[in-house]
Amino acid sequence: MKPAEASERLKTSFGSLLSGRNSRQGRWFLALIILFLIAGLLSVYTEQFLSTGNLLNLIAQAMPLIITAIGMMVVVLVGGLDLSVGSVISFTTAILALGAPAYISIPGVFVLAALIGLTNGLVVTRLNVHPIIATLAMQFIILGFARILRPVSGGDIPDIVIASVNGAFLGVPLPVFWGIFTFVIAWKLIHGSRFGLHLFAIGGGRASGAEDAAHNFGVADKRNVLLAYVTCSCFAALAGVFLAGRIVSGDPNVGLNFELDAITAVAIGGTQLSGGVGSLHGTIIGALVMALLANGMNLANISPFVQTAIKGGILLLVVGLQSRKKMGL
Amino acid sequence: MTSISKAFGSSQALWDVSIELFGGSVHALMGENGAGKSTLMKILAGVHQPDSGEIHKDGARVSFANPKDALDAGISTVFQELSLLPNLTISENMFLGREPVTRLGTVDYAKMNAETRRALQELGLTLDPSSLVSELSIAERQFVEIAHGIKADASVFILDEPTAALNAADVEVLNRHIRRLRDAGKAIVYISHRMDEIFEICDTVTVLKDGQVIGTEDIADLSPDRLIAMMVGRELEDLFPNRSENLGERLLEVTDFQIAAGSRPFSLAVHRGEIVALAGLEGQGQQKFLRALIGLFHPVAGHVAIRGRQLPLPANEANGIRRLRSYGAAFVPEDRKEEGLFLGLSISHNIAMALHSKVSELQPARSFSGKVHDTMASMNVKAASPNAPVTSLSGGNQQKVLLGRYLAANMDLLLIEEPTRGVDIGAKSEIYKLLRDFADEGGAVLVLSRETIELIGLSDRIYVIHGNTVVSNMQAKDATEHKILDAALGA
Repeated sequence: MKPAEASERLKTSFGSLLSGRNSRQGRWFLALIILFLIAGLLSVYTEQFLSTGNLLNLIAQAMPLIITAIGMMVVVLVGGLDLSVGSVISFTTAILALGAPAYISIPGVFVLAALIGLTNGLVVTRLNVHPIIATLAMQFIILGFARILRPVSGGDIPDIVIASVNGAFLGVPLPVFWGIFTFVIAWKLIHGSRFGLHLFAIGGGRASGAEDAAHNFGVADKRNVLLAYVTCSCFAALAGVFLAGRIVSGDPNVGLNFELDAITAVAIGGTQLSGGVGSLHGTIIGALVMALLANGMNLANISPFVQTAIKGGILLLVVGLQSRKKMGL
Repeated sequence: MTSISKAFGSSQALWDVSIELFGGSVHALMGENGAGKSTLMKILAGVHQPDSGEIHKDGARVSFANPKDALDAGISTVFQELSLLPNLTISENMFLGREPVTRLGTVDYAKMNAETRRALQELGLTLDPSSLVSELSIAERQFVEIAHGIKADASVFILDEPTAALNAADVEVLNRHIRRLRDAGKAIVYISHRMDEIFEICDTVTVLKDGQVIGTEDIADLSPDRLIAMMVGRELEDLFPNRSENLGERLLEVTDFQIAAGSRPFSLAVHRGEIVALAGLEGQGQQKFLRALIGLFHPVAGHVAIRGRQLPLPANEANGIRRLRSYGAAFVPEDRKEEGLFLGLSISHNIAMALHSKVSELQPARSFSGKVHDTMASMNVKAASPNAPVTSLSGGNQQKVLLGRYLAANMDLLLIEEPTRGVDIGAKSEIYKLLRDFADEGGAVLVLSRETIELIGLSDRIYVIHGNTVVSNMQAKDATEHKILDAALGA
């Protein structure tokens, strides 16, 4: 190969990596560049940014969003959306703070989350309600329950939950192990199983306007979509357990705006909201971008109200730049 | 398949239809649009279930609840609308729904890619099994669907208008694959509207009309005229109306038009009362010329005058069509579904569209119901009511609605791409007559089409275009396919 030809090929392959055009993994590489840009800026302007302590703290801060965003991505892959994740997080902390023994409350929150996801999935697949409406309704139902259980923050979180988030093992803080655990489970689900491939297939058919394409291949589309909503809720519950350990109380408002952050993280990570295109690493990168942005805005003393507005603007910007053929997600 | 019947709501799509397929033979299925070909094949492919009747395969009775059942039973289908998933790789598409897994429970990509490569090689394709389907051309996607059937060890292949979106070279490759399958002892069902293909590739033909079998014959015993007669009860010559006698003034005048840098400039003219065709091989500049008039293509140089008024070139893409309309000329695009019609809207809205655009935006909208009614009646649009959505109509009636929009708006000049694409023979004949009536009433038509026979039969004069310029101007009554090709290639 001639040098000119080689550089031309490098250019086009770099271009398609950047645009994610010819990939099912989407535009994650662009997000990675943005992540490094923000990290670079932060390390220039603040001295302690690159310290081990700050980085570990950042991971612990970002963990709930990473977990939630991964669950959200599973639903987005099939062309759905789940607005109830924030409420599920709050609800989970509220239940853990009831003071029940850990061997009951911890499995309990996951059973409840699975039921919530099941309901979401049934309403979407059987009643044909648009995912945004179905999960918006669920968001308020669960938020209501969380507030009934725990009108203001407080309560007792089981010791094992607190220890699992705040302790260290062999000198490594436990949130790192949470991260590894989540990654392995999620990778298996999304990229390492037939279930994951079928999620891509269902979403790809819908995004290209052939609603039944995957079904015609013999893929159990309704069941898989249902399971996607169950997965999403269970990941939200996992994030809720982590948060309960961090704030050491139950709080009906702790999950507020998590759906916005999670959807934004998923979109930044290159996942197409119309479905069928996305990747696990992209979503993690997207969540880290959101966490770094929040970190940076806090360091710059930007008011939380302004931060909320900025986050909304980012979602609009990222989704607006995604390609879509007809009006939709 | 014996005694298959199927009804959709109140309309009976198939009456007691029986056909027999044999291994090692290509079986053509012909009939006008809406004759029931696609319904019959969708039943065989498991998309629809028959109301009554039985399907037997190799002597055993079979029934399919969904397309996967049919594929498992060895029946593979390449539908008109492609059914591959664009965001999956070729091998993922091939194995979707029954992927092999490794011991760890992950999808076994090594095995999938290896088997896919083998299936593709059987077709002589060198595609990478791990490339995404969205990167493939339409022809390649069709070949992948055929490979899908080969890999599933199918013994029956259904090809539903496989050549509708292919160019001549790809059709040749497809034919080679079909012959290879036939020689391997597979049974093949071939649905097409293109006569030459049927005679080139098929062994037997079954003609359907109004959901019933008219007859099954060896292709060797048939002539194209006989076949058409079977389909419509008419001969080929009756398809086209008489040519016009008297020409009027020059309506469209094109001078020194240069499509691309380096191509020879040309001039042409269209008179009132005349249907003029642009013929030649595909992609030689016919479409570029027409689309230059509405601003979708920017030519190098040239002057265009309609009724003596100069049309400024290059036209603007944003308002090219509107400007053209103010000159009394309408552009009918080739792809009625993508570019022409509003599929979800009613027939009356689609027809009234051009009428609305003649009045000011601020005036209250009129329904134009009388005008719509007249147009539908004069064009013989078969529909339940003017309020029926266009998408519920057959291809021929959709095309009539599209034409009706411009005829209702009293245009002088029609620029038409592919007037009868995907339209059955009966409707074709009606559309030819409509265009001829339009010309006889003083209109002018400039038409381009892939079907040379259609151009010869329909038009009065033919400009042969090759290499982005006009190479010949001949009278249609003397033209033959051979002469046109000669003029194009001899230039």
